[in-house]
Amino acid sequence: MAELTQNEKRLLAILESEKRADAPHLAGLLDATPEAVVQWAHLAGDKGLATVERVVAKEFVYTDEGKEYAQNGLPETQLLRFILPGTTLADLQKHNAFKIGFGQLRKKGLVKVDGTSVTKTPGASTDADEASLKNPSAADQRTKELIRRGILQESETVQYKIAITNEGLALVKKGLDLREETGTLTREQILSGAWKTANLRKYDVTKLPKKAYPGKIHPYQRIIAEMREILLEMGFIELYGGIVQQSYWNFDALFQPQDHPAREMQDTFYLRETLPLPPGYEKVKAMHECGGETSSTGWGGIWKEEKAEQCVLRTHTTSVSIQHLARNPNPPVKAFCIGRVYRRETIDTTHLAEFEQLEGIVMDEGVTFGNLLGILREFYHRMGFEGVRFKPSYYPYTEPSLDAEVYVEGIGWIEMGGAGIFREEVTAPLGINYPVLAWGLGVSRIAMLRLGLKDLRYLHKSDVAFLRKTPALRHTKGGI
Amino acid sequence: MAVITLPYKYLERLTRTDKKTILDKVAFIGSDVERIEEDHADVEFFPDRPDLFSPEGVARAMRGYLGIETGLSVYPVKPSGISFTVDPMLANIRPVLGAAVIRGVSFDDESIQSIMSLQESLHWAVGRGRSKVAIGIHDLDTVKPPFRYIASPRSRKFIPLDYTEEMTMDEILEKHPKGRDYAKIIRDFPLFPLIVDKDDHVLSFPPIINGERTRVTLDTKNILLDTTGTDKRAVGVAVNIICTAMAEAGATIGSVEIGGMQTPTLAPVERTVSVNECSRLLGIELTAATMAELLRKMRFGAEPAGADKLNVQVPCYRADIMHDWDLFEDVAIAYGYDKITDMAPKTFTVGKPHPVQVNAALAREVFCGLGYLEVMPFTLTSEDVLYRKMQREEKNGVLHVMHPISIENTVVRTEILPLLLEFLTLNRHRELPQRLFTVGDVVDTCLTYQQASGVSTHPDADFSEAYASADAVLHELSIDYTVKESEDPAFIEGRRGDIIVAGKKIGVFGEIHPAVLNAFELEHSVAAFEFDLRAVPGYPAL
Repeated sequence: MAELTQNEKRLLAILESEKRADAPHLAGLLDATPEAVVQWAHLAGDKGLATVERVVAKEFVYTDEGKEYAQNGLPETQLLRFILPGTTLADLQKHNAFKIGFGQLRKKGLVKVDGTSVTKTPGASTDADEASLKNPSAADQRTKELIRRGILQESETVQYKIAITNEGLALVKKGLDLREETGTLTREQILSGAWKTANLRKYDVTKLPKKAYPGKIHPYQRIIAEMREILLEMGFIELYGGIVQQSYWNFDALFQPQDHPAREMQDTFYLRETLPLPPGYEKVKAMHECGGETSSTGWGGIWKEEKAEQCVLRTHTTSVSIQHLARNPNPPVKAFCIGRVYRRETIDTTHLAEFEQLEGIVMDEGVTFGNLLGILREFYHRMGFEGVRFKPSYYPYTEPSLDAEVYVEGIGWIEMGGAGIFREEVTAPLGINYPVLAWGLGVSRIAMLRLGLKDLRYLHKSDVAFLRKTPALRHTKGGI
Repeated sequence: MAVITLPYKYLERLTRTDKKTILDKVAFIGSDVERIEEDHADVEFFPDRPDLFSPEGVARAMRGYLGIETGLSVYPVKPSGISFTVDPMLANIRPVLGAAVIRGVSFDDESIQSIMSLQESLHWAVGRGRSKVAIGIHDLDTVKPPFRYIASPRSRKFIPLDYTEEMTMDEILEKHPKGRDYAKIIRDFPLFPLIVDKDDHVLSFPPIINGERTRVTLDTKNILLDTTGTDKRAVGVAVNIICTAMAEAGATIGSVEIGGMQTPTLAPVERTVSVNECSRLLGIELTAATMAELLRKMRFGAEPAGADKLNVQVPCYRADIMHDWDLFEDVAIAYGYDKITDMAPKTFTVGKPHPVQVNAALAREVFCGLGYLEVMPFTLTSEDVLYRKMQREEKNGVLHVMHPISIENTVVRTEILPLLLEFLTLNRHRELPQRLFTVGDVVDTCLTYQQASGVSTHPDADFSEAYASADAVLHELSIDYTVKESEDPAFIEGRRGDIIVAGKKIGVFGEIHPAVLNAFELEHSVAAFEFDLRAVPGYPAL
């Protein structure tokens, strides 16, 4: 049985002698409001220790008018008393009660008017009406008439009869601890030592009170942080760069031909802003037009400066890593960047116009395609994906290129990202003389799998309830 | 992406093996199998390999990869005796012409479909939507050589494909569906490109539409191919890919004379590559002989020329081979990505986080300590959210994207606070109090930097809470600040403070103005603050 509160105990103790009583009476004894007593009785009732009976009583009360009549008699009674032999109508009209009383007398046939004289009919009496006024009764026609006349009012009162049950009695007989209970310990009690004798209330420990919500990191941020940590552990330095990039760094320096479909307005967010080209851009121009000094043929055609100057919202973080390489052309370079990238896509459940991309690069003397596969396998293993495989793919600025797939229990092989070695057409104009291994992956893809999201938009337009519900520590198995 | 339909019977006949063997391996040459159907498979190939955009091209590659037939495919070409003249007036309109005669074709519904779909895929991948290259295929026996490629007055009439009435070229641009689709490529020129025969019959109005006269039917035996464009290399590649695919299907190819030159030759391009360079790049041990064998598997001609050198013949249809490394990728594919030993590089390096992210992580930690929940709103938003609802002036440095996808994504955020208020709107029905924060990128013209912002909403949210929370975050980030009465219209007058560091405003805090609450349809007061993280001492220069 759940613990009794102090108040329930007090109530039961009183009821031991009272047995059955109404709430106001008990309230008087317990120095509480009747409402509180009813509440305690209900609590005790839930435990089978008391019963609460709800009694609805009909009552008649006097209206203001009725109160006066109860004292002075009904208007017709007052008039009847006033009528003596020889009383004229004019005399009667002077009486306060005439207006109401005379009509009643005539209606009830208690007076006779003859010319100017008014006389009582034989045996005229309002005693029965007066009796009804003193002791109204629901069954009495006269009472109903008094209600209709606005002299009496009918009202309902609810009374609670509280009684102790046999179980309740038995419990009281066993003895109740009636000492005053302490809820929250006060500073006073703690310091004075009063806590030693205090009767600490016992709570229902199974019942969670109002939930508390901690401040915390977004679950998506946590996944990003996990990837950051893995790459830092693997000896990569972190890069940070601007959202707004010149076409030059976003496309041209990566050997994307100027008429490449990905550069069209329908795929990229262009801006009106332009920025001047960096020194040495002529080498990039030469690479596009004729392959510069490498074994490449280049794309042919004319490379236009103004196309390269135009700014875009970066379509990949490669625009950041390539600038890092241009500033740091000497080996070794191991760097990564996680940042928001933009594609001009129609937004739906699996496509967003902006999403996080992770990008890693390794430049060193003698690094190989085999090393790239090794780094990827290591990274995905650390992310928890056991099965990793690679297949040929195509990216405009890498050669050879590959796609990495990971095995997810229950789903199968999932494409996780693309990778390759930067083409010499990319590295040569920047004065980089060693192979650059590069890979990228969509962070939101892993987030979607791990958080079980059906709609990618949820990462950015989140329901607070979802964020509160998603625990900081999620047990991942096999990467998700 | 190009998704190619591969009918099993045809593919098996051309590849000379069963469909299972082909489909099991086709992904290993660089493709994604999209659908396996009863009688065909749909396979997606990458845009750098337009030579795989036909069953003939796929069969040729798979015969090599499966070892059924390796090395260079040789395509003999005989002069057809047919010639073209090119009007010099086309120099600024559409100067490049390629053409070929393809004899002895035998079409059925399927093979006509296959060549049409190759034509369309090439228009997409090589032709950049017909602007760079456009291809016309004609029944040679309906017209008479010699042919002329001319710049014609726009009033010239002929019956376009799929029509029965003559139309002027201007009318075609206006009324014909293809005319409407591609008008933008040539609309602005005074004269239009046109190909006519000896008797002035129209073959083609490139890059828009062929004439009805030369329509290819099931009875067509001989084909005239015209390819026009603005880029000589791209036009050449398109001609080579179509001719070699048709040759694979059994046709013979004849060259035509254009400007005194016989074209196409379908001859391979010679390249000499280093075996050691390839070994070093891929991280696999190779000899000249094994590398040559691998390249032959990929249908190159390859002969060792000494221990380190390999003479390679690159087939005329391999548009993607621009650089030696393109050949090395084919070596890796032939070798098998799964057989390459993967191992991490040996160089020792030390990882280092970027200070911007270190600061961001610290700021997040403090917000969390204050009971704020992180949210990650989009960076693309609208002037309506950033300024109008906030009662703020539009910032000078706001970036408007040129072709927004919707009115909700027209600018890049210059502040985060408005997006947090939008977030509260989204979560109106959720339990209060709600305390949200974001630490993230904003832009000012072309510069990206980070801001931090927090909001708290509940019936008792007020100025004191805003000030106390802002103070806590600023203090933990060691930002030494003073406060000045603010004029920010997003907040209530007399309940708003500017955060000042070294005489400069770096942020603001206070109680959000009820008009702003109304604009965001919020019912409870909001205590809010935002500031520029560049105020953190020792913050890196961006």
